[in-house]
Amino acid sequence: MTQAPVLKVENLQTRFKSVQRGKYVHAVDDVSIELYPGEIVGLVGESGCGKSTLGRTIVGLEKATSGRVLLDGVDLTTLSGAALRDSRRALQYVFQDPYSSLNDRQTVGEAIDEALVIAGTRSPEERDRRTKELLDQVGLASAVRDRHTRELSGGQRQRVAIARSLAVNPRVLICDEPVSALDLSIRAQVMNLFLRLQKDLGVACLFIAHDLALVRQAASRVYVMYLGKIVEHGSSRELYDHPSHPYSQMLLASAPEVDPRIEKNRRGPLMIGEVPSPTNPPSGCRFRTRCPLAVDDCAKAMPPSRVLSPEHTAACTFAADLHRGKRSALLQQEVSAA
Amino acid sequence: MHDQPLLDVSNLTVNLLTAKSAVCPVDGVSYSVRQGECLAIVGESGSGKTVMNFAPLGLMPTGVTTMLSGSVKLEGRELIGLPETEIQKLRGKSVGFIFQDPMSALNPVRRIGRQIAEMAELHLNLTPRAAEARALELVKLVGISDPAARLRQYPHELSGGLRQRIVIAIALAGEPKLLIADEPTTALDVTVQAQILRLLKDVQRRLNMAMVLITHDMGVVAGAADNIVVMYAARAAECGPVDKVLVSPRHPYTRGLINAIPRREDPIGSEFRGLPGIPPTLGAPIRGCALAPRCELAVPACGNSRPPLVRSDDSAVLVACPVVNQGKAAA
Ligand SMILES: Nc1ncnc2c1ncn2[C@@H]1O[C@H](COP(=O)(O)OP(=O)(O)OP(=O)(O)O)[C@@H](O)[C@H]1O
Ligand SMILES: Nc1ncnc2c1ncn2[C@@H]1O[C@H](COP(=O)(O)OP(=O)(O)O)[C@@H](O)[C@H]1O
Ligand code: SF4
Ligand code: SF4
Ligand SMILES: [Mg+2]
Ligand SMILES: [Mg+2]
Repeated sequence: MTQAPVLKVENLQTRFKSVQRGKYVHAVDDVSIELYPGEIVGLVGESGCGKSTLGRTIVGLEKATSGRVLLDGVDLTTLSGAALRDSRRALQYVFQDPYSSLNDRQTVGEAIDEALVIAGTRSPEERDRRTKELLDQVGLASAVRDRHTRELSGGQRQRVAIARSLAVNPRVLICDEPVSALDLSIRAQVMNLFLRLQKDLGVACLFIAHDLALVRQAASRVYVMYLGKIVEHGSSRELYDHPSHPYSQMLLASAPEVDPRIEKNRRGPLMIGEVPSPTNPPSGCRFRTRCPLAVDDCAKAMPPSRVLSPEHTAACTFAADLHRGKRSALLQQEVSAA
Repeated sequence: MHDQPLLDVSNLTVNLLTAKSAVCPVDGVSYSVRQGECLAIVGESGSGKTVMNFAPLGLMPTGVTTMLSGSVKLEGRELIGLPETEIQKLRGKSVGFIFQDPMSALNPVRRIGRQIAEMAELHLNLTPRAAEARALELVKLVGISDPAARLRQYPHELSGGLRQRIVIAIALAGEPKLLIADEPTTALDVTVQAQILRLLKDVQRRLNMAMVLITHDMGVVAGAADNIVVMYAARAAECGPVDKVLVSPRHPYTRGLINAIPRREDPIGSEFRGLPGIPPTLGAPIRGCALAPRCELAVPACGNSRPPLVRSDDSAVLVACPVVNQGKAAA
């Protein structure tokens, strides 16, 4: 890509005080990611891996412990006051739950109008025009404008929430599981809206999700996160065809098939256990407590990120082998389970 | 005995009345489950899955008046019209439950071991001592390592997956013949979901139970269930063996649902497939086919009367769509 990234996150770290005295929750630990204008980028991982905290830190809902968040080259962590507020507008967050992110007492029109006021649109005529435009952009009929948000379905509410975040003409949307709460038959409608916004408005979108199939289809690139760290990054094609970190391999293999002829004959691997506590992360490679390929050295030092192709990196000692299809976390496990 | 279904539901209708509203979340649904069999009930949020399974067992929140009609037979015994005291005896004993909200099933201030043992005491008339032993057995059965230590812990000390294993252990404590699992994996990651599904399947086989698995996720159905009922707006749209319904769905709603699942061959950046529009609310009665406003095969007659669930071109599969069913007759 020849363009400059619209969003660049460098060595970001977010820690919370733990309930255990004197300890910290290492929710996001030394994460670097980039977003280019008009692209959808996926961020996947199990719950508790730090995806939401990363997204929330980027938009300023959490405070970074260290690291930088650059929007168009300007470091937001050094700004304050009005300058920070202005920059932040370009970054908007879309929440998972379309039920709690809107005010029940407002009508759809009022909800969007409020966002336009916050965005600094003074003239009522201009706000009226923009409200119509935004409703149209998110695919809601103008008749919906006078209805209360509580009367809407989940999919409609999520569209209103998206319309509100578009009110400020953002450059970047951080979408945190934006369709997880929606029914399957509605999900496609909202996903197609994201595809359209990206094409028509050039908004870049960091798409946080645990549904890997959804991400594959929408995103050009994907980051895989585990226990506060990015463990693999690549173009969707590379990552889904040649997952090269044991965690990505196992995550992909966990997603169920819809065809019972395939699913019922599946013997193979199950991911062992669950994500360990980020208060006491394992030494060395953080995945080692669940990794079927782990060797003694994995406990000693964090494996460096290995470049597998120009657009593909993975942080595992065996990444090169795995990329070539030589060693597989999946085969390994079947053997050890037998 | 073996060809009599363990659970036989026929033409079940449930009306719910609250101070403010009246809804009919279950409208004339029939299905059955045999011993050792797993039936999946699939449908979107609000389609009536939970009410359909829990209302006949007297499990509705207070403040709602529940009106039931039709028939629900458990081992040949009619549940509709049975006094509450009789139904109460079945709950947790002949029928085990896993509720949709995982936390509601566990008491946050009591140790896990006590909670499991209590259920065993209550339903199996065990002495406290024997119940403790049974609790240990159950915790082992649900695949928890270091079981003795786990029994002394409190629910909040456990991860989501471990908690769900405990919920399953509690549901199994009364040695039920039927297990009703309402979205048992929805709150879990795919990685943990796979573990829990495998566990459920495994205990179902080992105990030769019948299981009703409520879910909105087709992937959950494929691996676990023998038969499936697809619900849309309080009614059954299609039912039959999963190997048939998931592989060649017939009803336009089932087809739409399965078609909406992204596939590996879908090009990156391509449009997502889905159904247009939104499901109806269940407040007002729906005269014709509930899918009509969203259905690409709809003809004017679809709005006139409710399509009956009848045999399709495959006699094992029932479909509530005359357009699809007549297509078979014409062919
Ligand atoms: N306690 C209640 N009082 C009034 N209406 C209710 C009550 N419980 C359920 N309903 C209504 O009954 C209908 C079916 O609800 P039900 O909970 O069975 O749906 P479901 O298919 O299980 O959905 P989900 O997938 O969201 O769990 C809905 O329209 C719901 O609003
Ligand atoms: N405000 C907070 N205080 C303490 N711990 C937190 C807070 N927010 C998140 N965490 C912890 O940080 C970790 C990452 O959480 P989160 O970012 O929500 O993960 P994800 O979105 O990937 O599920 C979790 O262990 C979570 O419990
Ligand atoms: S570095 Fe070691 S523990 Fe980590 S993923 Fe690779 S093999 Fe597994
Ligand atoms: S009855 Fe008509 S509207 Fe209903 S599913 Fe069949 S074709 Fe569609
Ligand atoms: Mg999250
Ligand atoms: Mg339910």
